[in-house]
Amino acid sequence: MRVTTPMALLGVLLLAALPALLPAGLLNAAIQMLIAALFACAYSLLSGRAGMLSFGHAAYFGVGAFATVHAMKAFGGAGLLPTPLLPLVGALAGLGFGIVAGWFATQRSGTTFAMITLAIAELLHAIAPQLKGWFGGESGISTMRMPAWGLSFGSTQQVYYLALAWVLLSLALLYFHAATPMGRLTLALRENSHRLGFLGYDAHGLGVSAFALSAMLSGIAGSLQVVSNEAVNYVVFDAGVSAAVVLNSYIGGVGTFLGPALGAALMTFFSYAVSDATQSWLLYQGVLFVLVMMVLPGGLTGLVSTTARLVGRHGFAAVLPLALLALGAALLLSAGTVFVVEAVQRIFSQDYRSLARMAASLPPITMFAHAWQPAAASTWLVPAALLATGAAFAWSARARLAALTRGTESNALEAAAPAIS
Amino acid sequence: MDAVVFAVLNGVIYGLLLFMVSAGLTLIFGMMGVLNFAHASFYMLGAYFAYALQGLVGFAGAVVLSTLLVGGVGVVVERGFLRRVHRHGHAHELLLTFGLSFIVAELVKLFFGNYPVDYRVPKALDFAAFAVGTQQYPVYRVLMGGIALLMFAAIYLLLTRTRIGIVVRAAIYRPRMVEALGHHVQLVFMGVFGIGAALAGLAGAVAGAFYTTNPNMALEIGVMVFVVVVVGGLGSLAGAMLASLLIGILTSLAVGVDASIADLAALVGAREWAQGIGGLLTLKLSSLAATIPFALMLLVLLLRPSGLMGERT
Amino acid sequence: MTQMTQPILSVQGLRKSFGETEIIRGIDLELAAGERRALIGPNGAGKSTLFHLISGQLAPSAGSIVFDRQRIDGWTPQRINRRGLARSFQITNIFPKLSVFENVRIAAMQRHRVQYTFWRLLERMARVREQAERLLEQVRLQGRAATLAGELSYSEQRSLELAMTLASDPKLVLLDEPMAGMSSEETQYTLQLIREVTVGRALLLVEHDMEVVFSLADRVSVLVYGEVIATGTPEEIRAHQGVREAYLGEEAAA
Repeated sequence: MRVTTPMALLGVLLLAALPALLPAGLLNAAIQMLIAALFACAYSLLSGRAGMLSFGHAAYFGVGAFATVHAMKAFGGAGLLPTPLLPLVGALAGLGFGIVAGWFATQRSGTTFAMITLAIAELLHAIAPQLKGWFGGESGISTMRMPAWGLSFGSTQQVYYLALAWVLLSLALLYFHAATPMGRLTLALRENSHRLGFLGYDAHGLGVSAFALSAMLSGIAGSLQVVSNEAVNYVVFDAGVSAAVVLNSYIGGVGTFLGPALGAALMTFFSYAVSDATQSWLLYQGVLFVLVMMVLPGGLTGLVSTTARLVGRHGFAAVLPLALLALGAALLLSAGTVFVVEAVQRIFSQDYRSLARMAASLPPITMFAHAWQPAAASTWLVPAALLATGAAFAWSARARLAALTRGTESNALEAAAPAIS
Repeated sequence: MDAVVFAVLNGVIYGLLLFMVSAGLTLIFGMMGVLNFAHASFYMLGAYFAYALQGLVGFAGAVVLSTLLVGGVGVVVERGFLRRVHRHGHAHELLLTFGLSFIVAELVKLFFGNYPVDYRVPKALDFAAFAVGTQQYPVYRVLMGGIALLMFAAIYLLLTRTRIGIVVRAAIYRPRMVEALGHHVQLVFMGVFGIGAALAGLAGAVAGAFYTTNPNMALEIGVMVFVVVVVGGLGSLAGAMLASLLIGILTSLAVGVDASIADLAALVGAREWAQGIGGLLTLKLSSLAATIPFALMLLVLLLRPSGLMGERT
Repeated sequence: MTQMTQPILSVQGLRKSFGETEIIRGIDLELAAGERRALIGPNGAGKSTLFHLISGQLAPSAGSIVFDRQRIDGWTPQRINRRGLARSFQITNIFPKLSVFENVRIAAMQRHRVQYTFWRLLERMARVREQAERLLEQVRLQGRAATLAGELSYSEQRSLELAMTLASDPKLVLLDEPMAGMSSEETQYTLQLIREVTVGRALLLVEHDMEVVFSLADRVSVLVYGEVIATGTPEEIRAHQGVREAYLGEEAAA
């Protein structure tokens, strides 16, 4: 599904109007969504476009963050680096570190490359708490945003616009990059790096350049987070941060330009929205990721474009029942899974276990504003029914899809696997 | 001197432990070309299963049962997940195993809580084996090392002296040919994967009692194991042993060293200068011990990219 | 007939071992500029290995390779290609998910030294586009320019492979079984194509199809067990005793 210029403009306008539409709390979430979106796009430049899977991208995000916090303390929002220009520091730090790390890492490919990137991030994670000067030890470094250019930067709104400006700038750079010689060669690197050498190119150098660019943009994202949060500590190098960007990007779909951004925004939004309701959000995200890997290689945006293609080829009427079945299946299966996970979480929690030890029989658990008896069969019939019905719907949807695409495409879902944008 | 001997012994034991986990991984990689990111999760599951079963069947029973269970999980992972995405390529497999490792960690947190659990060496085994100078050396550590060595011997003999071993080794290099010769290669893959997982599970069950058992175990040892595999050379069992021991001993020795680069600079009278710069130069080696394997890995990558004993490039 | 100028390619005493096995056991080979040489020999003789050695994929165990008056043994493939030597691959080695045009453009772009150019749009670089279009016309694929390379027919892919090999305007072209797997029609077509596009270039060609060899090559070298046992015009080779023994066995040759 191509994003046309009018659509893009509309998107930008909508984003610009957001502060007027959202309350302050949600606006903060929106800033985090923007940052996550940029990080995901930076990540998928390397893993999607260049085909090099990195599991330690938090390193460049974190390096950008720490460099920025030092710059904030050093320049106080004035001089060479007023507050709005701070992400430049993140960019430079990310770029520099990216070149060094990339030079090592790109000497290997595939799984070994992935492990090297993970090791680099873990190295930083291990060493940062020890270095008080650079990383503030275990507690990290905090600072304050200073006024610049006539703006106070005290309000969330101004921070939002700053973040939006930099994210849009970075996305434009990424988009432009795809049309430059270096950008096209990066794609070729993914397709057949072996041949590039025989065509006279320096494949290693290309790999390093893609790595460095990805690291630079990650540095900008990290920088924006520090500007927004006014603090950073070594936790920014945690494996969970690297994992999150991987999950976000692939759930969104690395085959399209905006796929990772949308995936990241959606996942970040959900983690905000459900963080009060459940402790198991990460588990759900992991399950979604594995599902995507098994069944939907193109991610959610891939799903949208496949559906669009199906409608185009077979007509709306033929696709509608299929879509409804699939949607129904997704909802039912999710509901059943959530029920089981939430129930298990409560039953195995420390509080409940102490309660259960003291009581004569298993006490009820509270879930979805209702009390359930763990020992009663009726309790477990609910998820069983949800899952069974959902599975039936899914089976039926699959059969319909097969019938629809017989003779036209080998596997509609697989055909949505990354194509070049 | 005693401290050094102690440290070396500890390092050897830890190295053997690393080997137990990385042996399975390097075999699986050699055979299927995919570094299973979830391999360290088998280690973690081994520890947690043993912890959960300890109350029911006693320590020894828990270790054995846990190993078998984890082997079963390995088979399920191979059959149900990996085989389905095999045709999408290595990157896809890697991502899938990454996702699986993520889920396993979250499931462990769901069932057992996001903190270490009280999985401990049973009283029966909690005594000293011998004395090193004034320090007592616990028998459990020796046991761990013993199990690892037994395992190495068993794998080595299995691979080199039995028919199944020959088939497995052949399948590493020429799976299609082995299949054409009438061997059930799929079954071989499943078996090797399951055994590799079981070994990691055994390591976890045994080590988890001595070191901590927490949801972060997989990540901690996982990164180490991959460093071992890179340093030792992908697909080389002997390389994995060598690298494991090297890393184990180096790390263990470093933990005992309280000197820093500034202390070294004192030899040329530059201590104050180094201390003035601070940062890395004043960090004690003991604090940096955890980072030594990474440094080793980067060094190997620079000087000998295929690993110390690697065959494939 | 051949002038006494410097050969474009001069291989001397080339050896290559893999562990204990010696695959290339002392090859001497000289190729004049613009000469078309076919390399024939039974399977396992080491033809592909020789190509790998000349093109830089492997480093020799001993011996020297001199290309265009420069020793290139031990050089990376990239450096050798920049010097003016290009090779095609027996198993088609293109960029399957990029369009045909894109494939050729990438190959053509190399001479403009834009590997790290990130400040110019590729679309705007007219010379690159023209060169890519010309290459496509040469191999008669201009009608398929927008198709994904992976969706071409087999012989179309071989033509694309050829176009990409030529993009760097090489002085020496190594073609590794360009007709492999083709029908006789496709073979004739590709034969004509190769004849056209290699005018003025030296060509080293590995082929099994003897008709192709005899109609295309100026001279033929026969490689058996890692050694060149004969070099000569196609007629000379056809009559050569040693060659007949190698191919047909001693009894039949007698």
